[in-house]
Amino acid sequence: MNKTFYAKTAVAGVGIRQFRRASAPMSEQQALTHAIVDACEDAGLAPADVDGFVTYGDDKNEPARLMSALGTKELNWSMAVLGGGGGGIAGAFADAAAAIISGQAKAVVIFRALVQDMSGRLSAAVMAHHLNRHMVAAGIVAPAQVCAMRAQRLFEYHGVPESTAEEFLKACYYHGSHNPDAIAYQTAFDHDAYAGSRLIAEPFRLFDCSRENDGAGALLLVSAEHARNLAKPPVYLLGATQGTGKGWGDLLDNDEDYASAGFATVARRLWEQTDLTPADIDVAQIYENFSAQGVASLIDHGFCTYENVAEFVRFENLIAPGGGLPVNTHGGNTAQGFIHGIGMAIEAVRCLRGESANPVPDARTCLLAGGPAAPTVSSAIFGNSGIIG
Amino acid sequence: MIGHTGLETPYWSSLAEGKLSLPRCSGCGQWQWPVAARCGECGHWGSEWQDVPLSGHIFSWTRTWHRFGGTEALPLPYVSLLAEIDGTDGKRLMGLLEGVGEEDRVRIGAPITGRIGSTRFGEEDVPVIIWRLRDGGEA
Ligand SMILES: [Zn+2]
Repeated sequence: MNKTFYAKTAVAGVGIRQFRRASAPMSEQQALTHAIVDACEDAGLAPADVDGFVTYGDDKNEPARLMSALGTKELNWSMAVLGGGGGGIAGAFADAAAAIISGQAKAVVIFRALVQDMSGRLSAAVMAHHLNRHMVAAGIVAPAQVCAMRAQRLFEYHGVPESTAEEFLKACYYHGSHNPDAIAYQTAFDHDAYAGSRLIAEPFRLFDCSRENDGAGALLLVSAEHARNLAKPPVYLLGATQGTGKGWGDLLDNDEDYASAGFATVARRLWEQTDLTPADIDVAQIYENFSAQGVASLIDHGFCTYENVAEFVRFENLIAPGGGLPVNTHGGNTAQGFIHGIGMAIEAVRCLRGESANPVPDARTCLLAGGPAAPTVSSAIFGNSGIIG
Repeated sequence: MIGHTGLETPYWSSLAEGKLSLPRCSGCGQWQWPVAARCGECGHWGSEWQDVPLSGHIFSWTRTWHRFGGTEALPLPYVSLLAEIDGTDGKRLMGLLEGVGEEDRVRIGAPITGRIGSTRFGEEDVPVIIWRLRDGGEA
């Protein structure tokens, strides 16, 4: 066990600005500046005192360009997680915590901004990393198709019932329908709506796919001691791991556990690093680029197996407040909104503060799992005073 | 577009000649796909290319119904395959499946046989393996 990260740092503030796709009333940099200032105000820390920034997924906003608007005194840490797209989200917390624990920086903002007018379509940006002649010749040009083939294998070969994807989505939409900030607020979602939506790439229908939003999100990470002196109750980072193992990665679809979400080594190290197990997790934010990959992510993290997945991935088991593991309590990427997943990290913090639109009473720990099936992925666990004391 | 490294040139030239060729480590003989500059298993640099038959099994598949930008040359819906190539220790290649209708079931594990065709992408005709169910068999 290596408890290097365990409760050494904490999220002290969060901020998010979300708009419908291609409808942001401001530039990407403005939206990001707002989100960072919101996060600082949430924490009660002056924006000028932020001295570090970490992002992921090819964000184009270089921190140096934010300094004038924020009044930044010193920029001491300016980093991005390399590769993996949304699979880098929890890795960004590992990076920020490393800066704080090693004394490189004191107040680090983890951010992601995406306004289509500036950055273009996210799916296109993701594919720019991967698109090659093998794929385009086979008519494969989009993340939906890459993940659809993996989902097909998950269902048809490994025997995971397709209904698990629908159950997962129903939980997301249930939470989204109760969340005034969600794109699915007050939206009904049932089997007919799901089965009636058009096919995209079998087995995926439209509802199996996350759809992009414009916006920006920011979380402020500081030392645990510092966080205890700020405005909001600290949400501690208990552990964070990033990477991949042998037999997984950018292998032209020759990955060994092809139908998995790619978390084998990352999840194992996360449990080792925190000395926690899946049974210790009270609520989870499971990044679902596509429904089946959300299910595969739950399997990879050890909540269930190919054999018993249908017992675990049931609507009733995945919803707040009574489910065994409420997932995506704000609605997730599919029903809350999708700014490359940054909203999932923010919900991880809010649910441990008791601020979620779908509260999970007495929740002490929350898992955040990054973009599944990416060549590199990452996961993190957060905890509140209920577990830290 | 990434991935078309110099190391892959023999693959594309063999497809252009109507055959399939895949690399093996010239040190330990292990099939290498994707091709790599160095064998991570034995440390040897360099590979030998070996012709392999255009036959295999369906490892996974998807039938695309949505018109994604860049796929205009393929009539909807079309079936993309991940094919496990016979005699290569389970190495997989992406390709297309012909001869199945919109409603036909495609089955993982089904034996397939291929021919070389091409897919128009932008200004380029990119070689591709077009598979069909072996012996006209059922999916
Ligand atoms: Zn070798």
